[in-house]
Amino acid sequence: MSVLARSVGNAFRNKVRTAAVVAVLAVAIGLALAMLVANQAVGAKVQELNASVGTVLTVNPAGVQGFEGGGEPLTAEQAATAADVPNVTAVVGTKALRLRNATEAAAQTAAGTLAGPGGGQGGPGGQTTTTLTTSLTAAVDAGTLGARNQDSSGTTGTTGSTGTTGTTGTTQPARSLPITATGTGAVVDSTGKALVLTSGTGLGDYTAESTKALLGTTLAEKNNLKVGSTFTINSKTFTVAGMFDAGTTFGNNALYVTLPTAQTLAELPGELSTMIVTVDSMENVDTAKTALQNALGTDKADVTQGQRNLETAVTSLDSVKNISMVAFIAALGTAGLIILLIMVMLVRERRREIGVLKAIGAPNRTIGLQFVLEALVLVALGSVVGAVIASFASGGIASALVSSSTSTTAAPAGQRGGGFAGAADGFPGGQGGPFGGASQLLTSVTASVSPGILAAGIAAVFGVAIIGALVPALLTARIRPIEVLRGE
Amino acid sequence: MIEVKDLVRTFKSGDRTIKPVNGVSFELEQGTLASIVGKSGSGKSTLLSLLGALDKPTSGDVVVNGVSLAGMPDGKLTEYRRRDIGFVFQQFNLVPNLSALDNVMLPMEFAGVRKATRAERARALLEQVQLDPDKHGRRINRLSGGEQQRVAIARALANEPKLILADEPTGNLDEQTGEHIIELLSSLSRDHNTTILVVTHDRTLANKTDRRFRLQQGRLAEEPVRGRAAEPAAV
Ligand SMILES: Nc1ncnc2c1ncn2[C@@H]1O[C@H](COP(=O)(O)OP(=O)(O)OP(=O)(O)O)[C@@H](O)[C@H]1O
Ligand SMILES: [Mg+2]
Repeated sequence: MSVLARSVGNAFRNKVRTAAVVAVLAVAIGLALAMLVANQAVGAKVQELNASVGTVLTVNPAGVQGFEGGGEPLTAEQAATAADVPNVTAVVGTKALRLRNATEAAAQTAAGTLAGPGGGQGGPGGQTTTTLTTSLTAAVDAGTLGARNQDSSGTTGTTGSTGTTGTTGTTQPARSLPITATGTGAVVDSTGKALVLTSGTGLGDYTAESTKALLGTTLAEKNNLKVGSTFTINSKTFTVAGMFDAGTTFGNNALYVTLPTAQTLAELPGELSTMIVTVDSMENVDTAKTALQNALGTDKADVTQGQRNLETAVTSLDSVKNISMVAFIAALGTAGLIILLIMVMLVRERRREIGVLKAIGAPNRTIGLQFVLEALVLVALGSVVGAVIASFASGGIASALVSSSTSTTAAPAGQRGGGFAGAADGFPGGQGGPFGGASQLLTSVTASVSPGILAAGIAAVFGVAIIGALVPALLTARIRPIEVLRGE
Repeated sequence: MIEVKDLVRTFKSGDRTIKPVNGVSFELEQGTLASIVGKSGSGKSTLLSLLGALDKPTSGDVVVNGVSLAGMPDGKLTEYRRRDIGFVFQQFNLVPNLSALDNVMLPMEFAGVRKATRAERARALLEQVQLDPDKHGRRINRLSGGEQQRVAIARALANEPKLILADEPTGNLDEQTGEHIIELLSSLSRDHNTTILVVTHDRTLANKTDRRFRLQQGRLAEEPVRGRAAEPAAV
């Protein structure tokens, strides 16, 4: 019989009490583990969200955000100013163009759809895009939503004389969406991410004379174009230099030309639709954003952070993370306290027996160890049951925590997301945006119980239990052997 | 050799002071079998607990083989109890949820004896005190008073102590078993040079010891005994 065997035996001396103690411990430990799992899951989500926000700032002309177009366009000088802001590593200017299939446009004009100058412009995004004609056919059918959006674009657009659009629009046959052409200063997309080229090369020389273009894969496919093929924009011939995959259907219904070319095509030299500003690190994004806004002037430009609406989500997730950490520590402390109280009770109850062990020569540390081990047996049983409880409960606990703390903030975040998505893409049909609402995002927090976290949590439980058991174990050292002569 | 020097142990009971041990002095040669008799409540158990370092005297000293217990640190006292003393308690004081065998093995475990040796020796000891082999594995609280008493004696012998302090070791035993225990203790002192001090009300036992002391009003007085020497060689 060893100390350990004796401890295990002692742990089961009073089976009913052991069962009760294990049950109470299991609840505390289970709660602690569930909280830890929730904390980790939320923490991982926060990291993921933060990473997705990235280090890119978008600069639009002041006033174009939302559905109202307006304001002064951005200029090359402003790009230079932006480049001088501390921590800014790159500024890429873009000029957005809206391309319509020449034949289709002609048909529509004949039907009187394009009622007034600029009537079809503006769009829900409010971007000051310029509409040009092209030999290309869009790869995306408008669909019901797109058709409706394009019809209503006359009404929501700038100063177009409307009235006729709605009625004639309904008689139109199926039409395709416009193609977005972006003049860019570097091979990046509108969020500052490098374009993924599937074939061909980049744009090469960024001069006004360049006739090179990068086409989205679906757009190229629809028009049977390959690298080296040609097409026209406003009767100017362009060569397909490469093809890219933006990963989305809309993203691939687009093409890129050099910035000067785009400016020439739009007959607006030096004018930019958007600037994509890259900041050197995540930590500097906020300060750089403020600095950039000040440098450009609030009346001239709007600086926004990519997927800014996530901030609300991150903030509420952060508070969930903190709450779960506090709850974890509290539950852990409770488990420790339960052990402490139970062991103090057991030590008092077994005073005489401890006296016997001392009387026959047991060293204090042997007796102390015996009680710590007995406590650990109880904790081990509590941990097994607690881990089972946690693995069933943590998913529910995590989502309950998340939904209760974010239900109030989710709605405004969602609205803002919708508006921004429209502005960034300039696409009809942008309502809802890529992030329909923060709540949708948050429910995707999955609290999967990973063995690593469980192990860490159980290690913490054992650490606390040892501390809890140490106090009563040290109390045994004060019991004198003469206790054996005292009756109970 | 054990020397007891002017030992005093007093207890406060309300505003009265009880002095069950009040200036006790004696010496015992190694290998002596001695007995202490006295009325109930005279302080016999109290004196034994002082000799066994279970309790500390109010004043006086116990010197065992030249080493004084007074002023010895607790760790050393524990070692003294473990190595040099075998204590048979009046109330047995066995660990109730352990088997007889486990109880006898406990002092050996504390002394660091190998597991296999422990079990072997514990069985031999339980056989010496005539406990049925089928009761060796039985839990203490399923044994009778007399059986528990014999387990307690076996446990006291576990580490082959130099001094055995036995408080009423035959109190719960029938005459025949009691005789056997007396013989066992007697042979230990004779053959193993173990000093044995027994507290007893048992006249037979008291008469078979080398020396006999009476504790009265806190003081110890030696009484003449026939002793083993006077007995015929063969019993
Ligand atoms: N811790 C204590 N506090 C107060 N009084 C005590 C304490 N321990 C013992 N006594 C008293 O000391 C006296 C001696 O007790 P002790 O147990 O030594 O007697 P004893 O001779 O062994 O008696 P018995 O033959 O009945 O076992 C008794 O009066 C007892 O009440
Ligand atoms: Mg007594």
